[in-house]
Amino acid sequence: MKKPWHRLAAGVIGLVLSALNLPEVPETYRITGEAQGTTYAVTYYANREWVDRQQIDSIFKSLDASLSIYQSGSLISRFNASEKGIEMDKHLMNVVNRSMQIYRETRGLSDITVYPLVRAWGFGTKAADALPDSAAIRRLLTCVGSDKLKISHQNLLKTSPCVQIDVNGIAQGYSVDVIADFLEGRGIGNYMVEVGGEIRTKGGKLPGNEPMNIGIETPSATEFDAPAIRAVITIGDGAVTTSGSYRNFRESGGLRLSHIIDPQTGFPVQREIISATVVAPDAITADGFDNALLAAGIDGAFEILRTHPEMQAYLIYKKTDGTVADTASAGFGKYLVP
Amino acid sequence: MSQPATTRRDFLATGLAAMAGAGLSAAFTPVLGRAVRPADKIRLGLIGTGSRGAGLATLIREMPDYELIACCDIIPENLQKGLSLAAKNAKGYSDYRKLLDDKSIDAVVIATPLYLHYPMAVAALQAGKHIYLEKSMTYDIPQAIDLVKKVKASGLVFQIGYQYRYYGLYHRVKEIMKENWLGRITHFECQYNRNSNWRFPVKDPKMERAINWRMYREYCGGPLSELCAHEIDVVNYLTDSRPVKVVGLGGINYWKDGRDTYDNIRTVYDYPNGVKASVTSVLSNAYNGYSIRILGDKATVEILRDKALIYPEITNNPKGVVDGVTGATIAVTTQGKGVEVKFGKPGEADLEPTVFALKDFGECVRNKKEPISNVETGRDGSIAIHMGNAAADTEKVQYWKPEYSA
Repeated sequence: MKKPWHRLAAGVIGLVLSALNLPEVPETYRITGEAQGTTYAVTYYANREWVDRQQIDSIFKSLDASLSIYQSGSLISRFNASEKGIEMDKHLMNVVNRSMQIYRETRGLSDITVYPLVRAWGFGTKAADALPDSAAIRRLLTCVGSDKLKISHQNLLKTSPCVQIDVNGIAQGYSVDVIADFLEGRGIGNYMVEVGGEIRTKGGKLPGNEPMNIGIETPSATEFDAPAIRAVITIGDGAVTTSGSYRNFRESGGLRLSHIIDPQTGFPVQREIISATVVAPDAITADGFDNALLAAGIDGAFEILRTHPEMQAYLIYKKTDGTVADTASAGFGKYLVP
Repeated sequence: MSQPATTRRDFLATGLAAMAGAGLSAAFTPVLGRAVRPADKIRLGLIGTGSRGAGLATLIREMPDYELIACCDIIPENLQKGLSLAAKNAKGYSDYRKLLDDKSIDAVVIATPLYLHYPMAVAALQAGKHIYLEKSMTYDIPQAIDLVKKVKASGLVFQIGYQYRYYGLYHRVKEIMKENWLGRITHFECQYNRNSNWRFPVKDPKMERAINWRMYREYCGGPLSELCAHEIDVVNYLTDSRPVKVVGLGGINYWKDGRDTYDNIRTVYDYPNGVKASVTSVLSNAYNGYSIRILGDKATVEILRDKALIYPEITNNPKGVVDGVTGATIAVTTQGKGVEVKFGKPGEADLEPTVFALKDFGECVRNKKEPISNVETGRDGSIAIHMGNAAADTEKVQYWKPEYSA
């Protein structure tokens, strides 16, 4: 137990320090809220409140105005409604460029033009009245494929009016990066940014500089289970995202339909992987690849990972006997907190 | 029926002729549990064409399975209303026994005050009619026990009008419970409240008791038998069990208008394994009038009239141990707010639950199946209701006796 004179001494030192305008003991600032249909939490360690909630919310606003399919006036909605295409802003250009790159690197498993199929399966902005039949899927597949997108200067063009894009699979990761960059621009070097389970961290927890622990959630049986932690990792300066088919699904005749649609078949992914956690230098990369790993299956996922040494992954999957097991890429072990 | 040479009517006539002069026990042989041919409409008689009966007639009119060929009510206006919803040339009766004598009627729907359920059901069984009897089943416990015996001996289809057993919403809730979405369920909180005196207008004072029978113990069990009956049945259905004991308090503290049934009653039923169900009816507050909350250690389900919401429990916040959690995106709505339970198939018509119950009754009559809401589940509901009222009347714990379900 501290003796009173200790406290007094601490108070005096604090006063002296502030009078001299010397750096004080850094504090923890935590901003939480709701955005993009989910929750976010920004935690940073600094000696002053360099960033406040208003600034974070305004970043989300500018991201939504560009990337949200839920806003009819957003840039992406205007692209989807257009005949030929539109002029992009900075956000849309960043996201589309990176998506196209990942589309090529995953041989089409990650494809932002999957939106017409997402809508048909009832995972768009509203639930579908009925499930699509294979004829409808075949029809829609003619509108799907990122080769039907062309980038010319600032413009994003489509080869057919029916081509529509949905960047929900990557936008959260991108948003995490945008906020992280904003914090760094304010001179903040110790932070954790989390948007809907996608995370980027830098530095440590001040004043002790302890590493930031990140729990990897166990896929739960239902949409409503409180998250349980399956493993704890610490990633230093980098990003981690998780894609799971376990949270967003709809029931159809007792079958769970995953919200992740295979752009090649047009049908919801029914793979053995139920959760893919990816660690990468930035969140747009991690988020851009996690759905593709899920869709690729265990062997396909490891094939993608072999060509990306900067990325490590942890996969939870269902074995043929129904039991749940996990596996990880070789480099993932170094992140695990024992 | 494999009697291609005879028409259905012929067969019925022959069957009944064969029965003529036979004793009561013979009347309960399954010979009268006759099948209706798929192409034929089931010919219905409706006994009791008051508010509920007329409501049923309105639904039946739209159903291709049925032809409503006779109505019965002692109040002429009610009877006229019933006939106006029935088939052309439907017959009107003021004496239900006369209606039961009509041999062309395959099945009867009984929607009369509770005290009439037992004698009418027994008479209908004797007349060889399949029965759709409105809830709750009987006026007292001995009647409930006896009716089980009589129905079983009859071989006739006997369904109790607990329509929620036929409603996709409740099927889905039961499924969710089985899938352990709610965790361990320890309590049910049921209420059926309204903010009204629950009376119907009476032109002739002589008709007060006939019209406002819900106000009088002579005719029914008050709010517990006429309102909460559904919820007691739902808890029985969802838990696949029946109460072990019950405590209760009731009173007439707000509507002091001459009624002798409670205007407020609060009971707590104890189910196997310590699961408790509070069942309440208050006639002076209508907030969330009809609601059943199911409390589990992982989530709560709140069932309202035509929807149900899930409220997940916020248990040991993992952020206490870790600084962040990576997982599939959690929709904002799953955190502390209710999430609507989806049920039914995409594009399926959103029908009044009673339509599903009546449809199934038709199925059971045609295929001689036992209804999901049958005489035994009906008995369990009725006995529970009477135990609840007795608990409030005596201010003593009432126990389910082994002979109730022997």
